[in-house]
Amino acid sequence: MIHQHPLITLAEVREDKLHILKTRLEDIRVSLLNAQMSEQPVEFGKVSTLHYGRWVILSRDSFRDEPAIPVGIRLVLTTNYDGIGNDHEDYHLAELVTQLTQYIDDLYECCVGYPEPEERTEESRKNFLKKGLIRTSAFYNGAPGRSVSQIHQEDSLHQHIWKFLKNKKWDEGTPAVEIHRAIKQEIDSRPEFEWTKEKAGVQGIKWLSLIAYGVLFIVMLPLIIGWLVYLFIFHELWDKKVTLAQSDLDDTKINELKKVEDIFPQNQFTQVAVLKPGFARRLNFRIWMFRTRVLAGDIFVKGKLLNIPTIHFARWVLIDKNKHVLFFSNFDGNWEQYLGDFIDQSGWGLTAIFCNTVKFPRTNFMGVLGIIPGMPLTFPGSKFVLTGGAYDEEHFLAWSRSTQVPTQVWYCPYRHLSIKNVNNNTMIRNELRQDLTEEQAKLFLKRF
Amino acid sequence: MTALELSEIQAYLLSDYQQMGYSKYYLMQVKDAAATKNFLAAIAHGITHANATITDTCFNIGFTSNGLKQLGYNETNMHSFSREFREGMVTEHRQRLLGNFESSDPSKWQWGAPANDRIDLILMVFGKDEAIAEDFYNGIKDKFETALSVIHILDGKAMPDNREHFGFRDGISQPVIKGSGLPPCGNNNDIEPGEFVLGYKNEYTVYPDTALLKIAQGKPELLADNAEGLADERTKVKYKDVGQNGTYFVLLQLQQDVDGFWEFWKKQSVETDEKKRNEEATMLAAKMMGRWPGGAPLVKYDKDPGVDVTDDNFKYVKEDASGNKCPFGAHIRRMNPRDVFEESSPKVSLSLTRRHRIMRRVRSYGEDFIGSAENHKPNGEVGLLFGCFNANISKQFEFLQYTWGNSPKFKRLYADPDPLIGVREDPEKKLGQIFTIPQATTNRVISDMQSFVTVKGGAYFFFPSITAIKFLATI
Repeated sequence: MIHQHPLITLAEVREDKLHILKTRLEDIRVSLLNAQMSEQPVEFGKVSTLHYGRWVILSRDSFRDEPAIPVGIRLVLTTNYDGIGNDHEDYHLAELVTQLTQYIDDLYECCVGYPEPEERTEESRKNFLKKGLIRTSAFYNGAPGRSVSQIHQEDSLHQHIWKFLKNKKWDEGTPAVEIHRAIKQEIDSRPEFEWTKEKAGVQGIKWLSLIAYGVLFIVMLPLIIGWLVYLFIFHELWDKKVTLAQSDLDDTKINELKKVEDIFPQNQFTQVAVLKPGFARRLNFRIWMFRTRVLAGDIFVKGKLLNIPTIHFARWVLIDKNKHVLFFSNFDGNWEQYLGDFIDQSGWGLTAIFCNTVKFPRTNFMGVLGIIPGMPLTFPGSKFVLTGGAYDEEHFLAWSRSTQVPTQVWYCPYRHLSIKNVNNNTMIRNELRQDLTEEQAKLFLKRF
Repeated sequence: MTALELSEIQAYLLSDYQQMGYSKYYLMQVKDAAATKNFLAAIAHGITHANATITDTCFNIGFTSNGLKQLGYNETNMHSFSREFREGMVTEHRQRLLGNFESSDPSKWQWGAPANDRIDLILMVFGKDEAIAEDFYNGIKDKFETALSVIHILDGKAMPDNREHFGFRDGISQPVIKGSGLPPCGNNNDIEPGEFVLGYKNEYTVYPDTALLKIAQGKPELLADNAEGLADERTKVKYKDVGQNGTYFVLLQLQQDVDGFWEFWKKQSVETDEKKRNEEATMLAAKMMGRWPGGAPLVKYDKDPGVDVTDDNFKYVKEDASGNKCPFGAHIRRMNPRDVFEESSPKVSLSLTRRHRIMRRVRSYGEDFIGSAENHKPNGEVGLLFGCFNANISKQFEFLQYTWGNSPKFKRLYADPDPLIGVREDPEKKLGQIFTIPQATTNRVISDMQSFVTVKGGAYFFFPSITAIKFLATI
């Protein structure tokens, strides 16, 4: 099974070149979009390990709130990639700089310290990007173990069977198992589907990890309760009420964001927020990052992050001496739905993390229930204990939009597939080779 | 439960005026702002509010954001209206959201698009019949003749037997606003007032974004303080609320291709016998709708009962988890997913569904024609004046149209837009457009879906309270 990893690298932009950089990013965006619209192959497609990728300019203007430390202008590159080989990061970077050489040169020659033209080699380019690498704090993958090529393969399998089922006339009352068998025969007869003979690895929930987490939680419970009370009395109570509404947001910025949204059934989201000052808030953020890392890596492996079934990849990254946090995600549907999902399905999970950033809608006992994965919203008393934050719908949406950063270039390799489609396609592949009962075969056929 | 201030709220929000056989929507432009304000002051008391005794006529009024600007509404104040309302229905992004392309492209609209004459307000006149409606209009006409000019008139009728032109019974599942004094109707249709009226708490138990008066203008003393208690940070004085007891209204003129609709479904039929073919076409059209033409839900009726059944008492989890009765892609299953909202538990699903409802107010236009597989050639253009009220256009109307309607990725589907309202004429080739009908073993697939509904015009309106209309007359 090939694992997917997050990569993020920052480069300092030369102020005198910012304008050129912006123009070049826009050129890449437009040519990528045009190629995708007309179903032409795109440059990014040559990078075999690349799932999603984006370039974002991060400057003082990207911050809604006063940064905790002075920030320059940076070009942020993030990718989600397939880990191939022992040094998979190096392998991926090598692919990036060799397959996207023109893009890399065009963009990074606007940055400080990029090798001069005569010094540019695969190695020097790679080393430049390596210098700016930073660690991702928490990472979520909606389809763990699925490589890009596997996703495309399984997509073609789904389409083939779909057409086969549609074009063949089945007598009424044909048992589902018989149809299942016919499909298997059809696939067996086609050499291009030889790969289906191998079962796809699907990551299961790591129960041991869940149990360890549960035990840790119970052992630590008195401490956790004390911590929550401490935070409530000394921090949350003192937070100012946030009244920023969506109607207060800057039109120019919103229009810039909307310009690139909802072109495909998938969208991206980039966000930067400033952590609240003080040791307690920072520690608290780290605790929640730890929780999210454990849950996202070991528990949320079935295509749902905190019960949200529309996210392909998401990650949190601390930058600037851990004083600022970046959040990236790739999701199905549009912004309104996505954020609505967050509120509807997992207000607690989000609140717990982001309440440690400045001017987040005020909270009480910030997501105390979020420690327990999958805690239902309807838990008795949750309405009383857990208020504010993401549940403060109007102000949460305004917070989210106002801290969002425009994404200059965004690449999505399988924009015609929702994350549910991706996971369903893998199930089709695996169930194709299984001996199914009549009931199971019926469910199998429902997948089309 | 907070009781609504009924004598402040325009009645069309709470009543569908079904007894009003005829309606005329006058889309108007402000010629003279001062005269328009005089007109507003003069007619404010005559606007039908929700406490009024309805006799032979009803009269309501709404404003576009252009209209408020024409009256001299302050720009800063304007900004506290919702973005959707301020920007209007036609922007590049909103075109993508609403899926208004090809024949429905705003460049082809008869009204409401930037290329058409600007619309500032809508006067809605309802009468028991056409003559009464016209009489009423003629009675008030001289009051605004110097103030306003008529840009476009939309004639509408109460739908005969509540059936739209394709032949299906409409408006069966409709929200009931808590605190409106109407009897609760169950079936998850009883909704918090803040989903439909500004100034009240919504299904998240917070107040919806409302139109605060941040800069004093006109006679603010007419208005109440905002219910949420938001105040100027410096002076600590609470903002007055222009939105209180008001709401937003979405209006779309939808032309219906009744002949194309039934021909399409008849073509899908495998039967050769005329009668059987018509039966199968009716069954397929019902699958697409989720109800039989008379309204009987497929979840409960696997055969057409042949009579009108306005039953809304059903859910999906226990009754039809497989979609074998009512397809996942069926119009009513998308627009009101009841206890199956994504993959949440039934109880959570029901509560989430309540956050995305609209109050539909639909009138029909053109010939009184109820289509069927046997009879589907109306004379001339027929269609719907689709209207709906909501407190948050983005979370309600636009969410329904895009996320649940246009998105081919609804639930676990691959390439299935809403077969009634989401089909494009020129879809992305890679995806195609299909309608999947789950069956016992292999699903039935209707490929190359066609669109039978064309948008001819549309706009977003603010429907102020009676007091807010009086206030607008003073700005």
